[in-house]
Amino acid sequence: MKKEISPIVSLNVNPCKMCMPMGSVNALCGVAGCMTVLHGSQGCATYIRRHMATHYNEPIDIASSSLTEEGTVFGGEKNLIKGIENLIKLYDPDVVGVSTTCLAETIGEDVPAMLARFRESHPDMRAKLINVTSAGYSGTQFEGFFRALRALAEQVEPNNCPNGKVNIITGQISPADTRWLKDLLSEMGIDAILLPDVSENLDGTHEAEYNRLKSGGVTLAEIAQMAGARHTIEISTFAAEEYSPARYLLDAFGVPFTRLNLPVSLRDIDALINALKSLGGTVTERLRRERGRYLDAMFDSHKYNAKVRAAVFGEPDFVYAVTGLLAENGAMPSVCATGSVCPGFADKVRAEVEPLSEFHLDAGNVIIADDEDFEHIEQYAAEYGVNLLIGSGDGRRVAERLKLPLVRCAFPIHDHIGGQRVRTLGYDGALTLLDRVTNAILSGVEETFRENLYEKYYKGNSDTKVTGNKPVEKHPCFSGCAKSSARIHLPVAPKCNIQCNYCVRKFDCPNESRPGVTSEILTPRDALAKFLDVRAQIPNLGVVGIAGPGDALADFDLTRETIRLIRQIDKDVLFCLSTNGLLLPFYAEELISLGVTHVTVTVNAVNPSIGAKIYSRAEYLGVKYNGETGAAILLANQIAGITRLVAAGIKVKVNTVMIKGINDRHIPEVMGAMKGLGCEIGNIMPLIPVVGSAFEALDMTNAHEIAAARKECEPILTQMYHCRQCRADAIGTLDNDISFKFRNAPQPAASGATTLFAVSSESGVLVDQHFGHTKAFCIYEYKNGSIRFKENRKVPQYCTGEDDDAVQSGKMAAILKTVEDCACVLSMRMGDSPRNALRAKGIQVYTTYNRIEDAVNEALTALQSRR
Amino acid sequence: MKNARDAVLEKYSAKVYKNRKEHIVEVDREAAEQKIAANSRSVPGIMTNRGCCYAGCKGVVLGPLKDALVLTHGPIGCGFYSWGTRRNKAKAEDGRNFIQYCFSTDLQEPDIVFGGEKKLRQAIKEAMEIFSPKSIMICSTCPVGLIGDDIHAVAAETEKLYGITCVAFSCEGYKGVSQSAGHHIANNGIMRRVIGTGDAAPKSKYSVNLLGEYNIGGDGWETERILKRIGYDVIAVLTGDGSIEDLKNAHMANLNLVQCHRSINYIAEMMKTRFGINWLKVNFVGIEATITSLRETAEFFGDDELKRRTEAVIADELAEIAEQRAYYKSKLSGKTAALYVGGSRSHHYQYLLRDFGVKTVLAGHEFAHRDDYEGRCVIPTIKEDADNKNIESITVDVDPDRFSTFLPEDRRNELYGKIQLEDYKGIIPDMETGDIVVDDLNHFETEAFLETLKPDIFLSGIKDKYVLQKSGVVSRQLHSYDYSGPYSGFRGAVKFAHDLTMGLYTPAWGLVTPPWKDEPMLVGTIG
Repeated sequence: MKKEISPIVSLNVNPCKMCMPMGSVNALCGVAGCMTVLHGSQGCATYIRRHMATHYNEPIDIASSSLTEEGTVFGGEKNLIKGIENLIKLYDPDVVGVSTTCLAETIGEDVPAMLARFRESHPDMRAKLINVTSAGYSGTQFEGFFRALRALAEQVEPNNCPNGKVNIITGQISPADTRWLKDLLSEMGIDAILLPDVSENLDGTHEAEYNRLKSGGVTLAEIAQMAGARHTIEISTFAAEEYSPARYLLDAFGVPFTRLNLPVSLRDIDALINALKSLGGTVTERLRRERGRYLDAMFDSHKYNAKVRAAVFGEPDFVYAVTGLLAENGAMPSVCATGSVCPGFADKVRAEVEPLSEFHLDAGNVIIADDEDFEHIEQYAAEYGVNLLIGSGDGRRVAERLKLPLVRCAFPIHDHIGGQRVRTLGYDGALTLLDRVTNAILSGVEETFRENLYEKYYKGNSDTKVTGNKPVEKHPCFSGCAKSSARIHLPVAPKCNIQCNYCVRKFDCPNESRPGVTSEILTPRDALAKFLDVRAQIPNLGVVGIAGPGDALADFDLTRETIRLIRQIDKDVLFCLSTNGLLLPFYAEELISLGVTHVTVTVNAVNPSIGAKIYSRAEYLGVKYNGETGAAILLANQIAGITRLVAAGIKVKVNTVMIKGINDRHIPEVMGAMKGLGCEIGNIMPLIPVVGSAFEALDMTNAHEIAAARKECEPILTQMYHCRQCRADAIGTLDNDISFKFRNAPQPAASGATTLFAVSSESGVLVDQHFGHTKAFCIYEYKNGSIRFKENRKVPQYCTGEDDDAVQSGKMAAILKTVEDCACVLSMRMGDSPRNALRAKGIQVYTTYNRIEDAVNEALTALQSRR
Repeated sequence: MKNARDAVLEKYSAKVYKNRKEHIVEVDREAAEQKIAANSRSVPGIMTNRGCCYAGCKGVVLGPLKDALVLTHGPIGCGFYSWGTRRNKAKAEDGRNFIQYCFSTDLQEPDIVFGGEKKLRQAIKEAMEIFSPKSIMICSTCPVGLIGDDIHAVAAETEKLYGITCVAFSCEGYKGVSQSAGHHIANNGIMRRVIGTGDAAPKSKYSVNLLGEYNIGGDGWETERILKRIGYDVIAVLTGDGSIEDLKNAHMANLNLVQCHRSINYIAEMMKTRFGINWLKVNFVGIEATITSLRETAEFFGDDELKRRTEAVIADELAEIAEQRAYYKSKLSGKTAALYVGGSRSHHYQYLLRDFGVKTVLAGHEFAHRDDYEGRCVIPTIKEDADNKNIESITVDVDPDRFSTFLPEDRRNELYGKIQLEDYKGIIPDMETGDIVVDDLNHFETEAFLETLKPDIFLSGIKDKYVLQKSGVVSRQLHSYDYSGPYSGFRGAVKFAHDLTMGLYTPAWGLVTPPWKDEPMLVGTIG
């Protein structure tokens, strides 16, 4: 059961897409002797030149009609005409591409009519004018690219005299890949026209003389001949038909076409080679050997590729193609996202991932989405445990924040050189990419595996990740960078064993936010229900904290039970708790084995005489100690406990309440001592003089004083600057406490109602069977608060490994019929397609490995929290 | 022999020639005054390097503010292309650092048809929920101005609703003739809504703001390091590694130091009118320039201890770089350079080049005004054209409660003319006879001047970088320093010289002539 990601709809945070003119200009760069003018304000041309130049490491000349306010009001024809005239005068191009921008389209410029008038008034003009409609708000660079290609196909006067050539139409592939494609065609003996051909224009050579009009590209004459070609291969399966040049050539001139995927997976490379072969091409011995070498390499690296959990992002064709490559190699494409709006995307990509479900436990754990931005991609990457990013250089910010390697292989790449030389296509190109992917993982393993293996197997710290990457700090309090991950504080620990002079725990003020405050006390069961409820509604819930309102260790049974219950259901969530440390030596071992990763200890003094002014009493092993004795016991136990936690790799934060006149000058000493114990971070908090507390008359510590103290202590111990002094029942991100939304507990099911559960069980005791292997479901019934076994129902076994799709879907229909009265199916594992089929019928899926009764109980709780 | 200017101009059609000849000046030190046409429309289709109004407002002035959530209201492209493009660096104290982010309302076709205000409101709500910024800056793009979204009303609503600072900037790309219009619009918004809203008192009477320092490659940090070493309290930096929270207190400073006057002189002037703060033109790019600026700043405060401290720091800093300075000077001396930056910087870097014996033969500007070329004194003679009038010029009144001028009038009068107090020199009077100054240098002219002037080094931006390299000329980007920097102050100067030297002496440059060019090829037939 995966969480939904926050539904951001109006705000795009860190876009994973560019605008239409960008795509249009890129495509026109593949036309011989073509100069482009963008009709709009000059910023568009300047921005796009900058972005293309940085990626391709080439001069990019794009002119602008430089519309100003006058042109915007009175129409831009004058500017456009001047612009084209000047371009022709200075460059003498064969083709002038005129692409529109947001501005031109919004003011409703009739560019085709303007160009017609221009042709009339310039009868001697040599250049061919091509008009591309490309408002930035009508699509992304992906659509802009194909619009320009379509415009070329439509507007160049056709020469439909049969010429025996094959048209090859591509999306935005790199110049190096374009060169590969040309070499392939010539090797196979196919006489082809490539639209566009960016091989030279966007990856030029160093010559004795620089020529500003680039010499490569497909010529006008060749574009004209496309109408007389015998076949078109369009290497894109996502471009809309209305902008497909292949479609146009068929409709207008009867040129048949084939659409193929980008040749990245072996299957898709073979498909291209086969298509060319069926068009009369020769499969050379060299090509066969190249394929063989690729296969050989796939086996060489497959054992490492199984470690890959990648996030792939970019244009739809690219993501689809790379997903195919990963899937073929047993690497998991955990996150597949495109910035474009692309309706068929999810289904097509899912079909690529599906084969992995045959042998990959994680195959159900994949997110595929279109219309996404990097904010979401980052959240997905963190949530789905991604260990590698594949896409454009724009992923670098995600890479930096999540500390993940990024394989840069798509436009734009701004932070590395060589964007123009990226290879992804064909046997050798795909192999280059595959090697980069494998090596990115291997580098991580090489750097960390000794340490990780030691942690995991020798020291038995189960939390160690074996991905080859440092675990990402997801806890919002321990890293300012993780501020966006949400946490829930479960108020299950009401008791306390010391009395601090600043604390009164009896108050509940829903608007007040400070430690020790809560609106309700939950039992461990309630806490689990609340957790499930919140998790269903908050996407990025990554941390469960127990912060009182008392001390998390004072009644440890409650704390332990809460953690245990939640851990059974959620394997990934982080646990943290805060304590005064008095009982830490007793429970440190248990905290470690429960999987608590973050502990906050409030240490206000490391000198008992100062401590005595802050703590009026400590209750320890049934005896009440006052004054310095109490403070000394507390301190000794804090030190012993922290030492134990740190040794086990648990991150310890120290909270210190700054009380003016009492411990304010003592704080650096506290921080120094804590640093010495191995604490990660210190948090100096202001005293809030609560009415009714012993310190009610003291001054509140102000922000300047806190800032000064933090500054002083920063060199001693890393300081937390983003503390919000949360309530004991806070929910949400640090900056956005939404606990008030969750104050009522989930409602139990109406009495008398019956709920049925279908369970996959081999043993009859545990939920221990894969859905696909189930021959009979055990049906359990929940009624009036109790759960009992009802009956067994036989079903055809869904997975036998021999059936084709039709047989499988027939079986699924039978299974659905059998369990149609059940609310939920419980299995150990389940593939995506049965999962979706069940959900489509309104039947929930709960995957677990547990005693049947317990599992049904959990599923019931989950169902209730859903309602 | 034809001079370089004529050789370049002759390629143009009559109409373009007429326009461009006014923008290109060959410096003549004998002439009484030399005029240049500037801040006027670019010729369409001529491959200008200029950006748009939005780029000046969002990209240059607002972009480096780390704690402001700058929200682009428009289609996706504009936001995407201005995402971290100047490689500004920032360090946030409270975790609110939005420098790495790009926020856009990503307008779609229906929004253009039915209006985008609703989406803007919703985007702000989402931004508040996810990022809880203390301030939001809304920047509009071309279509927004045309469809009539009232971003200012939305900003006012936002302030009421969430209790934060929210300022809207109508910086549609088509306004004005270059980025310069956007600088002005950004200045107006910051002056109106941000500066003067705080009240934190400076720590020292030597309190200054650093205006027009955008922290490219860490320049601002090097400058601030030196200022702090001497004992200045830098209240706010506009806007490199800048913070809205600091800007609120900028009016508490006793002096404004103005680095890039082109982009920020509006605020300097308005702060003088409103709060009585004098401003001093400085230039911390170049060793000698830095020394002059430090001495003039000390002179302004007039305190002997401060002057002594200034000299001590200068001596210490010079000692630290002495060896490197001498080495790189020996490597660079005698070379020639061309510069092509924005408004003030083609002037600033000449000082830095001079430090190492490099002479600037060509200075191009993207968006300078006449005063940048000819000196501040020409401002009264500049005629406003229709494009400039479209950019709002706001007037501010004296703030009677907070107006305070550090220096008494007689002391100020003594300093005018002695130091660059509220004045700056133009670039033309600062170059030598025969040097070329170009306004809105375009792609074609760049190539043409390369041929005629043959500079060894061309310091410019990404759009020229590859043209230059293909032409066999060493380039260095001054908009991002090619991932290097800082180039300001003392340590920055030798860093710059190091980078130039490494560029010029890279052995690869020696390989560009293929061997078969030098040796006669076998031509002929056998038989």
